[in-house]
Amino acid sequence: MKKNKYLFSAQLILTFLCCAFLIVPVIQSVLIGLSANAFRGISSGLTLRWVIEVWTLYSDSIFRSLFIGFVTLFVCLLAGVPAAYFMVRSKSRWIKVLEEVLVLPLAIPGLAIALGILITYGGYTDFRRSWMFILCGHVIFCLPFMVRSVASVMAMIDLTELEEGAASLGASFSRRFLQVVVPNVMPGIVSGALMVFTLSIGEFNLTWMLHTPLTKTLPVGLADSYASMRLEIGSAYTIYFFALIIPLLVAMQWVGSRSIGHVSQQADQDDVLEVQPMTATISSQKKSGVTISLTSCGKTFPDGTVALAPQSFTIEAGQTVVLLGPSGCGKTTTLRIIAGLESPDEGGRVCFGDKDVTRVPIEKRNVGMVFQNYALFPNMSVYRNIEYGLHIRGDEKEKRAKRVKEMLSMMQIEHLADRKINQLSGGQRQRVALARAIAVRPSVLLLDEPLSALDAKLRDSLREEIDTLLKRLNITTVYVTHDQSEAMSLGDVVVVMKDGDVMQMGSPQDIYFNPQQKFVADFIGTVNMVPCRILDGSFVFPNGYAVPCEMVAGINGAYSQTTANIFFRPENTVVQAAEGMFKGEILSSVFLGDKNRLKVKLNDMAPCVLDIPGDQTFVAGETIYFDVPAQALGVLPEAS
Amino acid sequence: MALNSRIRTLLMALPMWIILLAFFILPMVRLIFRTGEDGLDLYITALTKPQYLYSIGYTVLLSVVVTAVTLVLSGIVGVFLTRNSFRGKNILTSMLTFPLAFPGVVVGFMVILWAGRQGVLGQITKALSGDKVVFAYSMGGLFLGYLYFSIPRVITSVMAAAEKIDVELEEAARSLGASTWRVVWDVIVPALTPAFISSGAICFATSMGAFGTAFTLATNIDVIPITIYTEFTLSANIGMAACLSVILGIITWATLFVARLITDEDNIGAAG
Repeated sequence: MKKNKYLFSAQLILTFLCCAFLIVPVIQSVLIGLSANAFRGISSGLTLRWVIEVWTLYSDSIFRSLFIGFVTLFVCLLAGVPAAYFMVRSKSRWIKVLEEVLVLPLAIPGLAIALGILITYGGYTDFRRSWMFILCGHVIFCLPFMVRSVASVMAMIDLTELEEGAASLGASFSRRFLQVVVPNVMPGIVSGALMVFTLSIGEFNLTWMLHTPLTKTLPVGLADSYASMRLEIGSAYTIYFFALIIPLLVAMQWVGSRSIGHVSQQADQDDVLEVQPMTATISSQKKSGVTISLTSCGKTFPDGTVALAPQSFTIEAGQTVVLLGPSGCGKTTTLRIIAGLESPDEGGRVCFGDKDVTRVPIEKRNVGMVFQNYALFPNMSVYRNIEYGLHIRGDEKEKRAKRVKEMLSMMQIEHLADRKINQLSGGQRQRVALARAIAVRPSVLLLDEPLSALDAKLRDSLREEIDTLLKRLNITTVYVTHDQSEAMSLGDVVVVMKDGDVMQMGSPQDIYFNPQQKFVADFIGTVNMVPCRILDGSFVFPNGYAVPCEMVAGINGAYSQTTANIFFRPENTVVQAAEGMFKGEILSSVFLGDKNRLKVKLNDMAPCVLDIPGDQTFVAGETIYFDVPAQALGVLPEAS
Repeated sequence: MALNSRIRTLLMALPMWIILLAFFILPMVRLIFRTGEDGLDLYITALTKPQYLYSIGYTVLLSVVVTAVTLVLSGIVGVFLTRNSFRGKNILTSMLTFPLAFPGVVVGFMVILWAGRQGVLGQITKALSGDKVVFAYSMGGLFLGYLYFSIPRVITSVMAAAEKIDVELEEAARSLGASTWRVVWDVIVPALTPAFISSGAICFATSMGAFGTAFTLATNIDVIPITIYTEFTLSANIGMAACLSVILGIITWATLFVARLITDEDNIGAAG
């Protein structure tokens, strides 16, 4: 960018002037405080006389300030950090009121607050005369800063997922708070603490009103020294103040400059090079799956939206069930009900084997869960993350080490054991998350869109690895995804969901070849839908072409309706040189490498999509003839 | 489980609620009740008697002027520092934000060192013209002091806001043929407006409530905090002190509240 030279200089000069305005008196006070004679300045020679005199006069006020500062800090930490958690986590309307109340001590001048405290508690003489009286004012003044500082960091990180992650590994509420929440909001706590301490040390407005001759603090002492009209004493005392405040300010800047929640997004290509494919050679994995059965489990949220209509189904032990559907279809809600992160509406029941776990919180359900964004604890190394669940279960050190090692080698990530989470790429995190979930030998493994945060290529390779892993582990697995190819390749059973309801449940083949509804047919792959009439036991296409009903797959017995929806998939079309079942005009042709995808306009019918081999070229506007073999035709049972 | 966790979350805020209730809400309520003992008499006196009215007027006027000057100065300097990189920039930035943690009394002392009887300005002017310029103990001194504690605060928030401006916006404006001034006017100023409003409100509210600076300078101009203090200590007129405190509190709180409404930001609070 070209710079305007004059403008630049003018701004620079203004900046220098501002700086000088702020800094010159600071230097001046330091010089006067160290000079023998305040009037003649530094030329009168340097001395420590005033500094020493101030120490003898005012050292008690400095110590008192430090003491009050530390106690204020302690109280603010104790009250402020949990309060910040409450503010971030609570969804109550009262939060707005609380926020407003928290702004008030900042908006109302200290003088007014001090006056209120004096009017209320001034009569309790012993209290009035003690340093605790000042402490009250300082805590009120500083607490909002602590809460805000911590709450802003809490709002930045995905606290909910981290906590759920810890809960899925069995951590109790207090454990979650102390081991996951607090360490991860440390930057906010540290900067809040520095701010509180600095503010407390420098607080004057409240303190001046609340102090007594026996409870002078540093700023009160400063005011006294200034009022004494002895410039050298005032300056020397100010030096003490600077000496106290500068380290605090430097520390604050240092904390502020370290960006919070910084995530180094390494290129995922590194994964392929860095990480060997998982080898699921598991030494002693028992067949530990349980049957999961849901009985009329629905979920209505407090605002009345029905996230899930009551569902009942059973997942056999050791099976992998994939919940598939577009966003908002209730698949994640179902998973969270199974996990114990949501409780089903009244009347719903979740059973693991014979055990009713409906009222059991997630931390007691012995599930392993892989979250969408992995919920790995950023404050712990890879090793500690994997070990966490075992630690909570109270395993001894050797046992834990053995299991973690087993997991690391199974996932082929031994070399990453000591890394921090933010030093890992997406694929590596994925493996750690899997390892952590499996390490505790869960009876149920739950995966919530585990691959959606990865790029396409990595997704494919990891999907294969997860497939191998699940087959070997033989744990009952529930896998949520919106990606139909993931569902097809991983699931023993696929449950297609839409709008909080199950549309169809069956093997991948079943879902693909015999969809029971238009939505299912559409959602799984691409499909061409043709409404046909039924005449004399044949499906009659709009162009007059007729196919005998018994030749179409999925028909058993006589067909009584007069119309039906016939569908076929793009890959099942055969292009003919001239004359065929269908004739159409090509609207567009897209080359996809292995195939060309054509969009074809047919007479009296909606446009169709055809896949033809990649080496056959067509251009838009051409006429095309094609057949669809009768066995590739399907019929939807319900006319929709 | 849902109910359980809600209660647990509520319990987390309990210590804070107790502290706020005991040492903030209750005292504030007591303070307001104290002013209402004689009906609205105190308020009528406060808003009609010239002594108090002037005090309020002076304080508002001073705070408005200080806020305006601070915004202009800090706006220019803040944007300049974010947009240019040169050797020594970090030191300049640190020096500009250093006085952030100074209590009012120290700021007052800094003004005395600038413009007091033995101040730098006095010495310079004496050397130049023979007349010693001393204005620390007048309105000028107050103005300087308020400027002193306002500049670091506003610069910090302007710099934070300026860092968030997408440089591409500026480049887009340039690519469309905008001159430097137009870019400033059409891109930078609008982007900084929320920061200006919020930090301006903080600056105003802080100036209104600033006690230490005026206390140290011991000027003959009574800003509201000084009036409150003298009413309380010298005249032992606790009712009037409480009444003026309430008025002052309402002014500062309302300023910040309006600023928060406009900018939709919740990080506004005065300090000091």
